[in-house]
Amino acid sequence: MIDLIQLAVPVLLKGLWVTAALTFISVLIGFNLGLGLALMRLSSSWLLSGFAKYYSTVFRGTPLLVQIFLFYYGLGQLSLIKDNAALWWVISDGSRCAVLALALNTAAYTSEIMRGGLMSVPAGLIEAAQACGMSRVLRFRRIEFPLAIRQALPAYGNELILVVKGTSLASTITVLEITGYAKRLMSQTFAIFEIFAIAGILYLVINLVLIAVIRSIERFLMRMRRDPAMGRAPRARTNP
Amino acid sequence: MKLKVLTLLACLAGSMGSALAAEGELSIGTEGAYPPWSMSDANGNVTGFDADVGALLCTKLAVTCHFVVQAFDGLIPALKAKRFDVIISGMSITADRKKEINFSVGYAELANMFVAAKGSDLAAITDVDTLLKSLDGKKVGVQAGTTHAHFLEKRAPNADLKTYDTLDQMQIDLASGRIDTAFADQSALQDFLDKPDGKNFQLVGVEIKSTFDPTLGEGIGVGIAQDNTELKAKIDKALCELIADGSVGKASQKWFKTDISRPCK
Repeated sequence: MIDLIQLAVPVLLKGLWVTAALTFISVLIGFNLGLGLALMRLSSSWLLSGFAKYYSTVFRGTPLLVQIFLFYYGLGQLSLIKDNAALWWVISDGSRCAVLALALNTAAYTSEIMRGGLMSVPAGLIEAAQACGMSRVLRFRRIEFPLAIRQALPAYGNELILVVKGTSLASTITVLEITGYAKRLMSQTFAIFEIFAIAGILYLVINLVLIAVIRSIERFLMRMRRDPAMGRAPRARTNP
Repeated sequence: MKLKVLTLLACLAGSMGSALAAEGELSIGTEGAYPPWSMSDANGNVTGFDADVGALLCTKLAVTCHFVVQAFDGLIPALKAKRFDVIISGMSITADRKKEINFSVGYAELANMFVAAKGSDLAAITDVDTLLKSLDGKKVGVQAGTTHAHFLEKRAPNADLKTYDTLDQMQIDLASGRIDTAFADQSALQDFLDKPDGKNFQLVGVEIKSTFDPTLGEGIGVGIAQDNTELKAKIDKALCELIADGSVGKASQKWFKTDISRPCK
């Protein structure tokens, strides 16, 4: 058992970094893309909002594994992709393909979460900002986005956890992340239970760290609105 | 008809014990639907490489053989239930199967080979050491969990190993150029080369057998019940003699057009 742990843990830790990198890059791309899609969805142009709506329907309505297979095995067979150096650079490699699929997938969910956040910003505040003469960009940066992200953060934290778990599907397209290494160790040692238990613990550790980070960001954003006792409505204050 | 009666008798006899070899008869379980290893016709006659190996073995042991045709996945349970004495059915000796039954020495083994694009540097290599060295940094495809994967992890540690759940997925990536080469047994690779996708590929002219490295397994063996050590000793001895005198090699030439017999240690 000790031997097994000594064999498995260093290998799975190598996978942990790959899992973390896949998550980080996908979320970085996916968040920006998702924010853009949310703004498109709320814009008055029917073309932009229609596109964003169908995008989110397609990517939320199909399984991530199917998307990964479509990008990796499906697009890899088109000569159009193979003849284009830049596209082939992305599609030829399993991990880049996984990042592409994960980013586009999380962008769809992020757009819905951010749309909800943006819609919750009271119209009065926006009108007040307009009345002060703020430009659209400044208004978004100072008023709409900070308020929207406060609303959206708890739901977005959930989405981040789903992305971490989604990276395990990259093992099906030859990427060696935690699950990929675990599968390889399984066929070497036949110690299926122990290996996957360790792999599960590693995912849990990543997600616990992620949850802690999101909680502290939440606390920071809510710092002026809440009592020291987190989560309770502010008490009415009386002047001394 | 005669064979059916014999099969029936074997079932009855099987329930009484498995010391049949000593009583002048050896019943052999085989799949009968896996050319060219084991094929059975409408009359129940079994032909193929395994039938020949079985016949050679029976002659050597001076017993009468008869075949019991049974689906492959049912062979091990049937052997454990003593429905026949041995399995001769192109069955690879693996760690998992060894937990259930015993195996004789390996009597045959398909060559393990690499496949690469025609005209590539890899395709021109003719010796195993150069080949393994030149895999450094190359993307090498292999099926997950196979002896081939274990071999590459050990002998080509600097290769960028891509493991696939199925051979089909590996073939797709080979054809699309995502991997430089793939490692599998010759019959699997030949299957790829015969497809339209495989027309620009060729086998690298190096055959790697398990005598080169034991991680490649122990070849294909005769399955024997775990408690039947006496029979295993007899069969091991007979097989070694048959391999050494070239009888198994001759049978292999007849069915595979090449010698797949495995030298006995």
